[in-house]
Amino acid sequence: MARQKLVEVSDSKAGDGTMGEIYFKRFTFNQLAQHWIMIGTFMLLVVSGMPLKFPDAWWSPVIINFLGGFEMRTQIHHAAGVGMVLLGIYHVVYHVFVDKDSLLDRKVWPTLKDAKDFWQTIFYYLGKAEHPKFGRYSWKEKFDYWGAFWGMVMLCITGLIMLFPFKAMELIPYAYVHLATIVHTDEALLATLFIFIVHWWNVHYSPEVFPMSKAWITGTLSEEQMKHEHPLEYEEIMRQMQERDERLS
Amino acid sequence: MLFTSKNQHVSLKKIVILITVIAFSLLITTVSAQEDVSCYHCHTQVVSEFRNNIHYQKGFSCDDCHGGKAQPNTTVISYTVMSGDFIGRPTRSNITNICSKCHSQEAKDYKMSIHWEQIAKGHPEAATCTDCHGIHEIRAISDPNSSSNHQNSPATCAKCHSNKELMSAWYYGIKTDRFDTYKESFHWKALKKGYALVATCSDCHGNHNIKPHEDPKSSTYPDNLPKTCGKNNCHPDVQFDAKIAAGLVHDKESLHTGELVFNKTGMNPQMKDYFIGPFDLAYWIAFFFKILTTGVIAVFAGMVFLDFLSRVKIHRRW
Repeated sequence: MARQKLVEVSDSKAGDGTMGEIYFKRFTFNQLAQHWIMIGTFMLLVVSGMPLKFPDAWWSPVIINFLGGFEMRTQIHHAAGVGMVLLGIYHVVYHVFVDKDSLLDRKVWPTLKDAKDFWQTIFYYLGKAEHPKFGRYSWKEKFDYWGAFWGMVMLCITGLIMLFPFKAMELIPYAYVHLATIVHTDEALLATLFIFIVHWWNVHYSPEVFPMSKAWITGTLSEEQMKHEHPLEYEEIMRQMQERDERLS
Repeated sequence: MLFTSKNQHVSLKKIVILITVIAFSLLITTVSAQEDVSCYHCHTQVVSEFRNNIHYQKGFSCDDCHGGKAQPNTTVISYTVMSGDFIGRPTRSNITNICSKCHSQEAKDYKMSIHWEQIAKGHPEAATCTDCHGIHEIRAISDPNSSSNHQNSPATCAKCHSNKELMSAWYYGIKTDRFDTYKESFHWKALKKGYALVATCSDCHGNHNIKPHEDPKSSTYPDNLPKTCGKNNCHPDVQFDAKIAAGLVHDKESLHTGELVFNKTGMNPQMKDYFIGPFDLAYWIAFFFKILTTGVIAVFAGMVFLDFLSRVKIHRRW
């Protein structure tokens, strides 16, 4: 991740003489845009793909007719799929080669603390422990990221095999094209269930953020949210700012 | 007085009967005057079916197939109907001869098929013209309701080929899961959703001169598959080799039981591709995803539920 401005002071509410509310920058525009494209392609792929995963379901022909027929369904799925493949390539190329930060310094790698936090979260839900204090990314967010990463790899590879089956069969036996359909649809079902149940709970349904956390649009969190959801990150930023102030003064 | 009244009564009865008979005759004459197909009065059901027949629309009538002399607009049973070359209900092995009177090329092709080979061997239950095209309700191939229309081909073939009793007869021993396995293919899933261009039975296996896949002349003989799949309106620009084309089109979950196979001699080479060591990947990959999906969703949905419960108990969290 490129060096980001740590704090953004919003002046939107300024003018009444008090200092405006402080917003903490969490995502760059680049990251937000990747997420938006991801949302668009993912939803198109789910809607146009699931009727084929469950061809006997009553809603399958309903959705296919809604999309404009079977051929159109295929076109939509292929177009959105190519979009998602390009997004995946862009993501890896950008964050590995363009972003100059050392790969090892990225905050998204799983750590031992995440495993501890996982158990502590369960105990917290059961009322037996304090809520764990998260850093820049909580274990849930890391799991979301790596789950999506693994899913993208599996779905893009198998999807390309199915998009060019006859090219693929020059390299692999027909059986593996069939296996690609199994991996593709099963992985897609897992991804869909995870996004609709778990991810949407965390960012939409949960009373804490309902109807939604606006971070996916603005890329920022308020000071209060920051203290609640990422206290370690908040403390770190405050410490750095203090150091900088001391150095400047 | 008594006699006259009785006579009067009888004559009234006679008149009623007379009127009824006249009315009935009139009714039949009126109705049959509108009938351009003979045999209607007795074979009502058959003639109603025949009205959907392409041959009816082209001006043919009962006697063109059944022989004899059919007379339209008759109110009495015609003795001449069953005269001359009248054949009534043809035997199964004789049906081809009737159709070949006009459809000579089709009959010639058909006589090269495995179906005719079996009939000639004395197994008349093998498919003949009427099994695929219908009996009295023969429609044009282009009619979507025709049983031999492209998209109805799977259901039509399945009438016999999914019939275990018929197929397991000792002299056939043909697999009865062909329609079920076809249903696993993209071809069927697309067809069912109204994308009618995809391959159905007859596109790969042929129609009149259909042959078993062991026959080198069959379109589904492994060496001929590249040509069959690469037909102009199917997959024309694809370089097929026999290895690619001979994929398991007839495949389904139940073929992949997950049974560990250590000795694979004699196994279909396409099936062999699914194996790494003794493990059938089609089964074990699906198994892996069942465990993974159930596990991940159970754990995380469980946590969502616990999260929800904890919020019910604790109003403000932090």
